[in-house]
Amino acid sequence: MHKTLLAGVSTLALAMTATAGFAQDIVRGEGDFSWDSLDAFEAEYGDLGGQLTFWTPWRDDPGDASQWRAVVSFFEEATGVSTQLGSSPNYEEQARIDIAAGSPANITILPQPGLLAEFAAQGALTDLGDDATAWINENYAAGESWSALGQFEGQDGNVAQYAFPFKQEVKSLIWYSPVNFDEMGYEVPETMEGLFALQDQIKADGGTPWCVGLESGGATGWPATDWIEDLMLRTQTPEDYDAWVSNELKFNDPKVVEAIEIFGSIVKDDANVAGGTAAVATTAFGDSPLGLFTIPPQCYMHKQASFIASFFPDGSEAGSDYDFFYMPPYESEADLGRPVLGSGTLISITRDSDAARAFIEYLKTPIAHEIWMAQPNSSFLTAHTGANVDVYSSDALRQQGEILLEATTFRFDGSDMMPGAIGAGSFWTGMVDFVNGLSAQQAADQIQASWDNL
Amino acid sequence: MIGQVLNAILAVVVALVAAGAYFWGSNWLLDKFLRSDAGVSPGASVRNDRLRTSIRPWLFLAPALLFLSLYLVYPVFETVRLSLMNNNSTRFIGLSNYLWAINDANFRQSLLNNFLWLLIVPALSTAFGLVIAVLADRLWWGNIAKSLVFMPMAISFVGASVIWRFVYAYRGPDQAQIGVLNALATGMGFAPQNWLTNIPWNSFLLMVILIWIQTGFAMVILSAALRGIPEETLEAARIDGANEVQIFFTIMIPQITSTLIVVWTTITITVLKVFDIVFAMTGGQFQTEVLANLMYSWMFRSGDFGRGSTIAVVILIAVMPIMIWNIRNANREQGTR
Amino acid sequence: MSTVSASPAAPAATAEPASAFARLRIGRIAANLALLLIVALWTFPTAGLLISSVRDADQLALSGWWTSLTTSEATGAAALGTAADQTDEDGQYVISGDILADGTSFTVSAVGITSREPGAFGVGEPVEMRDGGILTVDETGAYRWTSATPFAHERGPRVYYVASEPPRFTFDNYVSVLTANGIGQSFINSLTVAIPATVVPILIAAFAAYALAWMSFPGRGILVAIIVGLLVVPLQMSLIPILRIYNGIALTFGGEAKGYLGVWLAHTAFGLPLAIFLLRNYMVGLPREIMESARMDGATHFQIFVTMVLPLSFPALASFAIFQFLWVWNDLLVALIFLGSQDTELVLTGRLVNLLGTRGNNWELLTAGAFVSMIVPLIVFFSLQRYFVRGLLAGSVKGG
Repeated sequence: MHKTLLAGVSTLALAMTATAGFAQDIVRGEGDFSWDSLDAFEAEYGDLGGQLTFWTPWRDDPGDASQWRAVVSFFEEATGVSTQLGSSPNYEEQARIDIAAGSPANITILPQPGLLAEFAAQGALTDLGDDATAWINENYAAGESWSALGQFEGQDGNVAQYAFPFKQEVKSLIWYSPVNFDEMGYEVPETMEGLFALQDQIKADGGTPWCVGLESGGATGWPATDWIEDLMLRTQTPEDYDAWVSNELKFNDPKVVEAIEIFGSIVKDDANVAGGTAAVATTAFGDSPLGLFTIPPQCYMHKQASFIASFFPDGSEAGSDYDFFYMPPYESEADLGRPVLGSGTLISITRDSDAARAFIEYLKTPIAHEIWMAQPNSSFLTAHTGANVDVYSSDALRQQGEILLEATTFRFDGSDMMPGAIGAGSFWTGMVDFVNGLSAQQAADQIQASWDNL
Repeated sequence: MIGQVLNAILAVVVALVAAGAYFWGSNWLLDKFLRSDAGVSPGASVRNDRLRTSIRPWLFLAPALLFLSLYLVYPVFETVRLSLMNNNSTRFIGLSNYLWAINDANFRQSLLNNFLWLLIVPALSTAFGLVIAVLADRLWWGNIAKSLVFMPMAISFVGASVIWRFVYAYRGPDQAQIGVLNALATGMGFAPQNWLTNIPWNSFLLMVILIWIQTGFAMVILSAALRGIPEETLEAARIDGANEVQIFFTIMIPQITSTLIVVWTTITITVLKVFDIVFAMTGGQFQTEVLANLMYSWMFRSGDFGRGSTIAVVILIAVMPIMIWNIRNANREQGTR
Repeated sequence: MSTVSASPAAPAATAEPASAFARLRIGRIAANLALLLIVALWTFPTAGLLISSVRDADQLALSGWWTSLTTSEATGAAALGTAADQTDEDGQYVISGDILADGTSFTVSAVGITSREPGAFGVGEPVEMRDGGILTVDETGAYRWTSATPFAHERGPRVYYVASEPPRFTFDNYVSVLTANGIGQSFINSLTVAIPATVVPILIAAFAAYALAWMSFPGRGILVAIIVGLLVVPLQMSLIPILRIYNGIALTFGGEAKGYLGVWLAHTAFGLPLAIFLLRNYMVGLPREIMESARMDGATHFQIFVTMVLPLSFPALASFAIFQFLWVWNDLLVALIFLGSQDTELVLTGRLVNLLGTRGNNWELLTAGAFVSMIVPLIVFFSLQRYFVRGLLAGSVKGG
């Protein structure tokens, strides 16, 4: 019992040739792009030449790898620098190996500030200077929270700007099918209380509210960390959130346990999640949203970051087959405002050179952001206020970009900032154990114990 | 692009010529400078004889030993050294990492799991491999059968993990099952099981994957050994009135004992290193952690070289009994002098 | 001595029907059945992969691969026409069309107007639409939506259907894999890595194995044990120390730290323990009589090795070659670290894993990719398989 919302499936091969052509669709001097910023950049760095190597988490081709290549190609063209792009499925591990062995790329791009902080402490990163800090503060929306993301303690113990945030993503999104909502007469909730009322309504109508999948191979459990982080931001102050991330607020503090319990109230009720609680930990996170598209629907809502749209069935259309809404705040916690959880990648220089420095300058130009914004099927968002939002390739992205720009509180994915053994270890496993039976307190104690053991 | 392959082939030729020149040349030099023929005095001849005999093995061994010491022995020492250092190898901390390991619940779990793996996987893989080898050699379609059993060895671990995801996949009771095992279970009227989180069975289900892969290895090696058993030996036993089962146990097994040991040892060591399967299927969660995966996550994910190295040293120590056993075997099987 | 001068590697045994085990006579049927059962068990998961690789990506996550062979019940949805599509037929306003897309071979068995109940109404049964009018759908998916008043809606409402779907297969996954950017280059890269990394260790190991098997010298037992012990060294432990050495050499003498030479040497070293272990064991089992008579005839170790041991060991060399080739071909880690993962340097496994996507979407491509990457190892296996048969002469000398 399944299948085919969209019978006219275009073959993957066709889709590929189509997207391969898009990078060239941006022609210098045409469209709503800030070409003048590229001209100014070229005037300064036009005769640079040389070589530049990149190490990135982006491997999809077509996809983020080809989109990134488009961004870099304009840099190449402007400066005459020839570039080499690299990535692998174990890019974090490999970055670590290359840095430890002394052969890192010129520029290393990672989505984990925690990992970069380690590299900075080892003296592997180059200080980008105070200008960079000032520039980010001035030109990014909520600039200081962004520049702080890239500030780490160096080998000498001094805090400096070691990484430059580029490419942002919004995590506080709940995906749904507008058609299914219409048929059942459901409304998009404006508050957390409303969301829970909707959840009960769906159950009362005989449906299943949520699709949740935590399975992700060796990283199984990470989608649950996003839930906890979003719930933390909606129940506690941003300061508490920061304290939690740095473990000044203990993991087994009642404030954290409360957030875990709210998550538990959703996933630990068999009627709330497709397949029941037992399926949560072993359903692949990428397969889980497919329940939105089945007929009859296996679920009505799915919480996940913006990238998840690339997992939806081929040819499904934003606006009719699927849409998203911002995960609302509690009405009872009005003073917390509209918090947004996000993530992003940070760009650092791991082997200094003139070309590497020039590349950081290039990232300050609006055009570097706009080129990626204009790439079709991307999940690129930017906090750069100078970039023209008109060039976003879709309305969905533009709306997400607006969520990012309008956030009263923006916080980075906490698990990515915790030490690796926690944020990419016991937090994941603790959440899986929680879903599979541990109480919130036990799970929190277990995670805190591993933190104490560091 | 073709030029690149030609380069590879050229590299092979160069390597072969260089190796050939080395082995031939060094032997020639040895025979030339330490002569024991009519041209030298009897005393010198005996001495040269002895010298040659003691030098020649090392000429044969030298390239292999060079490679092994640089690429494996040196890293072992480095690992031992790192295991006595802190997480970023800047401070000597003695045996703290080992104390940590003993007290770490995860580590103890891995130790226990590894022990189970060691007990089960080598034995079953070898047994299946032997049965298939014996049966396949007697049947006209034996080669086809062997090829099919061998196939899992040719699949990369990434591919294998996809295959087994389809076997163990779980969907809720009200949904269509996409995993074979659960389809069987529901077909027989049982509730679908979440196999990969089902402690303690999940560890055994992961072992099945390695058995599935390694049986092909055992089969290939054992099949070659079986064919080496002289026909006359079997014929003689048959004339003496032995039945087929007796022949299998009293003639064939003893004849291939040393190969059985080799296969068992090799698979045991593969098991000690088992990493990809656990990494890809459960990531070591749900109490399926094994030492190699634990080492990997401490080493590269958490960036704690000290603890990662400590676990690696434990893996090395675990192989000691097998090494001692092999010393005794090697000393027993004497070649010619 | 002269008895072994014939080529021992000749596949004489396959041609010889009265091979050793043909005379083992357990019930032939039992043997056939037992093997059939084992082979079926072993093949079943791979068969799942093969079938999955020709299935549609979205279906993989929704139904078992075994169901793809039979006609299945499928549910679907389609949008009806809008007011712009209506025609006036004798005072009746009609929108007609087909709810099935062109080229599908479904047979509709029921329709519905909510996703909850996609099969609420039978085929041909009039369905009252929320927008007004009556809808009828026939088995082929052709529909007629009639109304006495003109239609005014701008967006076609959705109808759902239950249909039986004959088995449907697609080669899209294979097309995607084979046309992916750089797949040809990666294929060549893999070959470039694998050929020398398979041949070189065999030669080096063969000499070492001979010394350990047939030469007597102090410390031989310990050496064997150390080599067995080295089998267990986790590869990951070697990566950083070795890469550091490579970087040091590149820094001192110029040149690139990462390259094919580095990968070849690394694979050679990592393959050596198993090679020496397997070959030594095999060589120990070679008939002592041949060696001794050769020694008596005044042959040197070098001559014995080249003219007798090497040819006699062909089955062991062939089986090791297969395993080493497989390991190198399927390796990802060593190649990524020592060769690099820039676009032009990626090996086939690396390329396939990248097809998976950063977050593992597109993993259906891996089903096809796994088969594509298996082709070469299987060719190697089949072409070397016949050498597994040890020459009969070697055996008969020992037996006699």
